[in-house]
Amino acid sequence: MADYTAILPLIVLAAFGLLAPAVRILGKSDKATAIWALAGVLISGFFVADFFLSYPPGSSVGFEGVVELNYFSALFMLLFLSVAAYVIIASLRYVDKERHTGEYYALILLATTGMMIVASALDLITLFVGIELTSLSSYALVAFRKTSKRGSEAATKYFIIGALSSAIALFGISLLYGVTVQFPEVLVGSNPLTFENIGAAVSAAMGTPAEPIVFLAAVMLIAGFGFKIALVPFHMWAPDVYEGAPTTITAMLAAGSKKMGIIALFKVFLIGLIALKTDWELLIAVLAILTMTVGNIIAVSQTSLKRMLAYSSIAQAGYILIALPIAAVSDPAVAAYGLAGGFFHMITHAFMKGGAFLIVAGLSKVAVGENVADYKGLARRAPWIAFAMLIMLFSLAGIPPLAGFWSKYVLFSGAIDAWQLNDQNNWMFWLAIAGILNSALSLYYYARVVKNMYVEKGPQDRVRVPTAMAVAIGICFVAVIGIGLYPQPFIQACIDAAHAFLGI
Amino acid sequence: MIPQEYFLVLSGILFAIGAFGVLTRKNAIVVLMCVEIMLNAANINFVTFSVFSGGAAGQVFALFSIAIAAAEVAVGLAILLNLQKLQDTIELQDLNLLRW
Repeated sequence: MADYTAILPLIVLAAFGLLAPAVRILGKSDKATAIWALAGVLISGFFVADFFLSYPPGSSVGFEGVVELNYFSALFMLLFLSVAAYVIIASLRYVDKERHTGEYYALILLATTGMMIVASALDLITLFVGIELTSLSSYALVAFRKTSKRGSEAATKYFIIGALSSAIALFGISLLYGVTVQFPEVLVGSNPLTFENIGAAVSAAMGTPAEPIVFLAAVMLIAGFGFKIALVPFHMWAPDVYEGAPTTITAMLAAGSKKMGIIALFKVFLIGLIALKTDWELLIAVLAILTMTVGNIIAVSQTSLKRMLAYSSIAQAGYILIALPIAAVSDPAVAAYGLAGGFFHMITHAFMKGGAFLIVAGLSKVAVGENVADYKGLARRAPWIAFAMLIMLFSLAGIPPLAGFWSKYVLFSGAIDAWQLNDQNNWMFWLAIAGILNSALSLYYYARVVKNMYVEKGPQDRVRVPTAMAVAIGICFVAVIGIGLYPQPFIQACIDAAHAFLGI
Repeated sequence: MIPQEYFLVLSGILFAIGAFGVLTRKNAIVVLMCVEIMLNAANINFVTFSVFSGGAAGQVFALFSIAIAAAEVAVGLAILLNLQKLQDTIELQDLNLLRW
């Protein structure tokens, strides 16, 4: 009898997802379907939380060498499940006039299952299947409004780019497979593509004729996964898709799918290709700085709030990515702290950016437009929502004592720690400098929205965001304030996760 | 027996043809076909490495990726069909509602 602990949360979520359309047909109620989906998320979350309670830090439960539940994967499963939970609660009102809501909730649950598979995957093929499960579900979700021209255009762009990036990544994976089977003496078990086996084979391949193939595979994996996380120069699709998709789905793409791509990149490069680190760490660092700078600079000139948040999302991925070169340094404590900074920023970003998109969604439901200019005088029209938006934007900019400040603090101080190690890491200082300068730049366009809400005069009529959406916004609001006031347990959880991730 | 290099050269050529088509063609269906060629280039790699190394894992991966490619085409054609219904075109350069 195999131990199903590791795979139980995935089975539960997938089963609830597959049954959601049936619940919609039999129950004839959108509300019942949403509650069914929410129940699936909560039960799955219960099994993940049960792992946290019954196993000490550092322990792990595997399933057939395919997936593994450890402190890292459990933490990110909980993150993805909370994203799914607030998206489902917000969707309760956001899609209530639409058809096919059963499929809508089913696809949200399946996309979340895919993200959780990526978080717990032990080999590259499982990781790829998880990425594809999430991608295919999100293509369909972006196209959910079948009568929306912008929605179908966004879905087409997303699908073409997504399929191309999957093909490039899969070719890279096939090359890595070719390298691993050349070194059967270092492989453990029957699957040559586990991250451990890739790591062993790649270090054995250094200096042999197989070395250039590994480089080619690494470049293809950066390009393939770079498209998924909208890394500059592979970012052109992201603002179009984020603008054209239903806004609750935009929140899920920014808060969930993007984190999934970053985790995939972390797993491949920190465990599989760690032997190549002197070659990729500078490349990744340059891409990270480029991503945050380009994202922030283009965000300044946006008039649509959704597009502005999309570009700021690109910039935030750049901040998270600086954890990758830091986590590759030789000192385990510094590496774990730097990686924990990346994890922490992923968690806080999921709530603050998700919350900001949900506010846009909620206000568009009550006829407030999606442009920055439409937010004039919002503080008088909807004081609480305007205050929540203020908190989300200031947190994204990194103003203390909000969540975004602490995660950026851990992230940038990780870069400084790595710089002080002084084993040819002098350039890591510039990662922190670039991050801090970019945060200052980003404050400019966030402050413009805040000025519109609080200083400018606008329409006087009060607007009231639907209760279900206000609850979802409230979850993000409480998370941003709560993590801001009590960051210590979250930092500790991220450090535990980083230890589990790096296996130290 | 045909040497391994021949298969790898074939897959490399297929991948390049697919990538070239994605970059130059405007019709979304043709672009989709080119992506499929790229995916199949990877499958040829998997099967080749698997056969020449004597392990079965690569062939299992190829089966996985064939299934995924099939699902991808199903979702993609549905999206393109809807696009055709709404905008009366599947030429990618005509998609200009969303831009910065």
